[in-house]
Amino acid sequence: MSQNKKFKRKATVKVLEERCKGCWYCVNYCPTKVLQVSEKMNAKGYHPPVFKENIDENVVCIGCHLCELYCPDFAIVVEELE
Amino acid sequence: MSQMTDMRKMEEEWLRTERLPHVWCPGCGIGIVLNAFLRAVIRRNIPKEKMVVVSGIGCTGRTAGYVNVDSFHTTHGRAIPFAVGIKFARPDLNVVVFSGDGDLFAIGGNHFVNAARRNHDLLIIAVNNFTYGMTGGQHGPTTPTGAYTTTTPYGNPDRPFNIPHLAISLGAPYVARWTTYHVNQLQNSIYKALNMKGFRVIEIISQCPTVYGRRNSMRSPMSMMEYFQKNSVINNKASYEEMELTYNGKIVVGEFRNVGGIPSYEERYEEIIRRAQE
Amino acid sequence: MTEKHLKEGYYFWSGDVAAAEGAIAAGCRFYAGYPITPSSEVAETMALRLPQVGGKFIEMEDEIGSIAAIIGASWTGERSMTATSGPGISLMNENIGLAVMTEVPLVIVNAMRGAPSTGLPTLIGQGDLMQAKYGSHGSYEIITLYPNNIQEAFDLMFDAFNLAEKYRVPVMYLLDGLLAHMYEKVYVPPREVWEKKIIRRKRARKGQLPYQPDEDMIPPMPLIGEGYNIHATGLTHDERGYPDLTPQAQEELVRRLNEKILKHERDIWKVEEYMTEDADVIVVSFGGESRAVKAGVNLARKEGIKAGMLRLITIWPFPWEYITKYSADYIVAEINYGQMYHLVREYSDNDVYQLNKMGGEIHTPEEVLKRIREVSS
Ligand SMILES: Cc1ncc(C[n+]2csc(CCOP(=O)(O)OP(=O)(O)O)c2C)c(N)n1
Ligand code: SF4
Ligand code: SF4
Repeated sequence: MSQNKKFKRKATVKVLEERCKGCWYCVNYCPTKVLQVSEKMNAKGYHPPVFKENIDENVVCIGCHLCELYCPDFAIVVEELE
Repeated sequence: MSQMTDMRKMEEEWLRTERLPHVWCPGCGIGIVLNAFLRAVIRRNIPKEKMVVVSGIGCTGRTAGYVNVDSFHTTHGRAIPFAVGIKFARPDLNVVVFSGDGDLFAIGGNHFVNAARRNHDLLIIAVNNFTYGMTGGQHGPTTPTGAYTTTTPYGNPDRPFNIPHLAISLGAPYVARWTTYHVNQLQNSIYKALNMKGFRVIEIISQCPTVYGRRNSMRSPMSMMEYFQKNSVINNKASYEEMELTYNGKIVVGEFRNVGGIPSYEERYEEIIRRAQE
Repeated sequence: MTEKHLKEGYYFWSGDVAAAEGAIAAGCRFYAGYPITPSSEVAETMALRLPQVGGKFIEMEDEIGSIAAIIGASWTGERSMTATSGPGISLMNENIGLAVMTEVPLVIVNAMRGAPSTGLPTLIGQGDLMQAKYGSHGSYEIITLYPNNIQEAFDLMFDAFNLAEKYRVPVMYLLDGLLAHMYEKVYVPPREVWEKKIIRRKRARKGQLPYQPDEDMIPPMPLIGEGYNIHATGLTHDERGYPDLTPQAQEELVRRLNEKILKHERDIWKVEEYMTEDADVIVVSFGGESRAVKAGVNLARKEGIKAGMLRLITIWPFPWEYITKYSADYIVAEINYGQMYHLVREYSDNDVYQLNKMGGEIHTPEEVLKRIREVSS
């Protein structure tokens, strides 16, 4: 179904939503596109990203940490599985 | 847990998390630089009480307020001499100056030039966003010729500093330039510089979408990042001419100078004390 | 390597040299400065002497850098000093404000010359008295001391450093073109004696916030490199040192910065009262000028005029109680167009007269006598 199937799931992403300011670098730089802009709004009025794995099991986080490195707001935590 | 996950955990300890979210605008590159900096410091295993961060005034100057180490938000342009005082008094500390381009090169230009000449043992993280962010986007000493700012409504007639050229001409032993797009190279560069002595200068081309980008057809954070991505060329052996930055032109990045063995001011003064007490 | 300290004995020093030696004896181990007449000999003495006692001297690129460097050094716990003259103070003023706001102990020597601007580089002026307190923007209090002889230029440095450290505040140490370059004999006591005079700064208890004041309104100072994770900013801040840009925080902080000095003014004041007890006319004076004033007062006494002198050693906080205490008329003798005159007028119920020269020289004793005669007739 998805080409992402060829990757192994390595990590999960936690979003510290109150720190997010909605620049969406994470969404843009994720090589497997597992982050997407969410509908919800935080206290400051920004839409934090949501981790799609929770919604769609075909997308996979490969644990590259790029989202974390690009996040200017320290709002992303990538946690490796195991 | 992997090293990367551990590092992310430690990063929280190095931040004054009670002060987050920070003051910077959505997509401002300063946070990316701070992120890379903290990771490099953590990788170096520098104890927190051995690290001091000094900033001047400006958006970048606010950095000192977020790092959970001895940290000083000084006056506009004076971060370098303030740091000189700390380092000279306590040579065992790692003293880092983290500030903006206007702070370091316009109002603080004289200090930069002379501190580099004396080769103080300082790491200078110079965030170049082409403008005075804090005061609303006036042109500064790094604004490319032709760029639009609130004080160059017809385009900038000034010529910007070529910061790596300037630093190299002053004998700085480590000189590099990256953009916020180069998160890994930047982190590695800081990591490397942290282990060196003398006046080390890392210029980071950074996006200020709010007051610079929007006047120069890069309104969104991503459009500035795309500009950096598309226009950057890595060339460690670049000539001084190639290092020059032009309006919407190529951005030559790389590690332009890396030489060891030049004694720092602090080291040379040890010899002075020895002679005085002979 | 062995440290070389001053030996007990008599020395023949200029005011600049005495101030520098006094500073080192008082524990100063860090100096950053930029040369300017008539203060340059302070720097030269420091360059020679500081490394002999394990201290650090650096000649910076300008006065702004100099004061920034000593603020940084003071945070490491070093007793730190710079020296300059009026034009240099003008450049330092922004960072004097930073030191006030972030409560950093410093000693700043200003060897006053004729001014405004480049004025009279080698000659006396006393025009920087208001600048000493009001030079930086905002309302704040700092301490200003001013000796009038070379022995005192040495001795008073202990007060300068002790007060700076005790109150976490910059101390302006005034000299003038006369004192800076004038030579006199100075007695230096044995090291054990002078070292007992040194008061070290209060140290923060673990867990005490960097701007959490004690009862006396002074927060003990945490030092760099000891794991306090200090944050200091010139922005209005709370007790953690974090920016708090509210009228409430401003009210609390700025009031305390002023009151921590004013509530302790009697501890700070030093004044020489010379034949003031029965005086009908008192000449208020300070620094180099007060040497002529004393001679003038003596001449007046010989003529049977009940004259006296109040010599302000503490200029700021202004020792107003010494003015209100007497019911004499006052003459304020100063080498400027009239600065302390306004303070004396503010506190005296009697007549206050001026005796001014614009700079370059002090009054002669005869000129002082003439003025005393005029006002007492
Ligand atoms: C003496 C003085 N002059 C002017 C200012 C106003 N000011 C504050 S920040 C700033 C420019 C900051 O620009 P830069 O250093 O490039 O930092 P950025 O905000 O872009 O990160 C200016 C002019 C000041 N604070 N102090
Ligand atoms: S770690 Fe990499 S793959 Fe996983 S969400 Fe972040 S950017 Fe995407
Ligand atoms: S104004 Fe520009 S430099 Fe300042 S925080 Fe906003 S984006 Fe960053």
